[in-house]
Amino acid sequence: MPNHKFTRACAALAMTLVAGASLAAEKKLTVGVADALTGGGAVYGLPQANAVKMAAEEINAAGGIKVGPDVYKIDVIAYDDKANPTEATNAVRKLIDRDGVKYILGFCCSGSTSAVASFIGNEKAVMLVGNAAERSITTKKIPNLVRTRPPADYTGQAAGTFIARKGQKRIAVLGALDVGFYAQYVDSVEREIKKTGGEIIAREVFSLKDRDMTPQLTKIRGLNPDAILVVGYVEPAAFVYRQAVELGMNIPRYGFTSGSEEQFLRVTTSEQMEGVWDLRPTELTLLSASKNGIAYHANYTKKYNASPSPSSPYAYDQLYALKAAIEAAGTVDNTEAVAKALRNLAVPPQVVMQYQPVDGKMFDVNGQAYTSNGAFQWQKGKWVFVEDLPSDSKAYSQFLSTLN
Amino acid sequence: MLIEILQQTINGLAIGGVYVLIALGLTTVFGILGIAHFAHGSISMSGGYLTYFLVTAQGMPVLAAIPVALASGILLGLLVEMLAYRPVRNANHINAFIVALGLTMMVEGLNLQLFGHEQVVIPTGLSRVFRLGGITVPELRLYVIVAAIVLVIAMMIFVERTKTGQAIRAVAENRDAAILMGVNVRTIPLIVFGMSTALGVAAGIMVGALFAIAPGIGEGLVVKGFAVLILGGLGSFPGAILGGTVLGITESIAAGFISSAYKDVIAFVVMILVLLIRPQGLLGRAP
Repeated sequence: MPNHKFTRACAALAMTLVAGASLAAEKKLTVGVADALTGGGAVYGLPQANAVKMAAEEINAAGGIKVGPDVYKIDVIAYDDKANPTEATNAVRKLIDRDGVKYILGFCCSGSTSAVASFIGNEKAVMLVGNAAERSITTKKIPNLVRTRPPADYTGQAAGTFIARKGQKRIAVLGALDVGFYAQYVDSVEREIKKTGGEIIAREVFSLKDRDMTPQLTKIRGLNPDAILVVGYVEPAAFVYRQAVELGMNIPRYGFTSGSEEQFLRVTTSEQMEGVWDLRPTELTLLSASKNGIAYHANYTKKYNASPSPSSPYAYDQLYALKAAIEAAGTVDNTEAVAKALRNLAVPPQVVMQYQPVDGKMFDVNGQAYTSNGAFQWQKGKWVFVEDLPSDSKAYSQFLSTLN
Repeated sequence: MLIEILQQTINGLAIGGVYVLIALGLTTVFGILGIAHFAHGSISMSGGYLTYFLVTAQGMPVLAAIPVALASGILLGLLVEMLAYRPVRNANHINAFIVALGLTMMVEGLNLQLFGHEQVVIPTGLSRVFRLGGITVPELRLYVIVAAIVLVIAMMIFVERTKTGQAIRAVAENRDAAILMGVNVRTIPLIVFGMSTALGVAAGIMVGALFAIAPGIGEGLVVKGFAVLILGGLGSFPGAILGGTVLGITESIAAGFISSAYKDVIAFVVMILVLLIRPQGLLGRAP
């Protein structure tokens, strides 16, 4: 008889545990991704969306997000915003209004991101911005918005110091200068090189769809610059590098593009790329990466049969930051509490990028995270991390706080 | 300064060659059949995509892939004429216009489905650069310019010196008179579309090798093609050749000497200025 009692007690306990477990398994947290999945911005947006999906799978496999007694498994809905402000607004409205999503990630491109940032402050949702580098995104003090990538001029300052140190005085710029953050990067470079007597002698423009840069390069060649600085999306930038060689321009080439080897080699040959510098946040490259970065690179490559773009971990890190913030806030429903927790978050151990915390926190009071900046050079077919570029995240954070 | 002007002219000649080939295809179809063939750009890019596929996925040498793509272009042109335009040939002009727009969307969608949204560049392995004085000419650009010239000459010989070419010109001049003279007017549209699409495919291959093929590129090119048609004179072969060359060089010189930000705008301003002086275009006939 006592044996029967014991068996019944065990059965009841097992049923309770199973029921509890199944109840926990039923909880689902849907996060949205709004990003450029097609079009010119897709070189950044698609890898970001892939990175979020991969992070979600990893988190789910590791048990999900733990909120008190509940465990949430993450479900990802991704919409294509084509890097277009109208499309991005529609995508985010659809996520919030129709799908009931409270957490929106991705956001590779500044124009579309700025459009969403203009209204997200009025929503009960949290926006996590990735690769979009326009400074003003985090100067508006939007409490429910954070960004993993540092603003372009934070990197431009470090890049300018590097170029000045190399001794080149007359720099010709060719880039997508009608895009705000690229112009901000160049302005920062100019401020730094002026300190050592340098100057920018030309500011030539290309658009996202341009593929023939020989007219601009011919004009630049006629000015005999010491170096050229190329700022823009990977695809047009790759054509600039290729066509500069074709025009016999044997001068140092600096850039701010964040493209992977694979992306550049679709357009140029490795020989044409040899010696090109990319002065950018210390994003993902095998040589600069942490343990997490190496694992991320391997997992992404295995899952998507393509190398991750260097900037894609900005989005991967968003989901780990969100997980940590939700667990710290102890709620998935109270977006205000989660947004607040994000602002107080230490850098989670699972992230890939090498963040420079401000006052021990991943995001500063503006909701801005900072990574270190680095000088990468194309050597024999790949980007090689050459050196860190000195960057003061705390000083920049204070400067950012003074802007509106 | 002189070197820069010469360099910009060489730069503009390559893209001008592409414009000429696109415009010749368009002007042939428009001049002879009266159809504004908007799908021409997208179909041309299909030829570029096919070449890319043959080279990268099938391992075919690029010189072997080009004739295959050109032959496929001729076949595609015949199909387009038979399946899309022939059924509406005797209907109101608006029907052919709608067919052209529908065809553009269909071909763009098909290209997107088959080749994806990312740009593709046809690998040629041609990376040498020739230098003459201060002027540099990349090997690939040189071949593109030469190929465009050869194709234009071949087309002119075909149209001017062969019986079929004479028949095409006769239909363009006066369809009824051509019928009375025994010209088989049913086959002329087929020949015109085959020839026009082959020229377009050649332009698509050039764009794919020099720059890149991606969704939307064909649509942009067809707009430039029509601009060349208007600049050179509607229905005029020499006008298309002159118009394409002028547009290519103007774009290049404008970007070099005025502003790269307004490259396209300046080219179109030049077109409008020419039309103000010669409304019939550079080599068009006054009505």
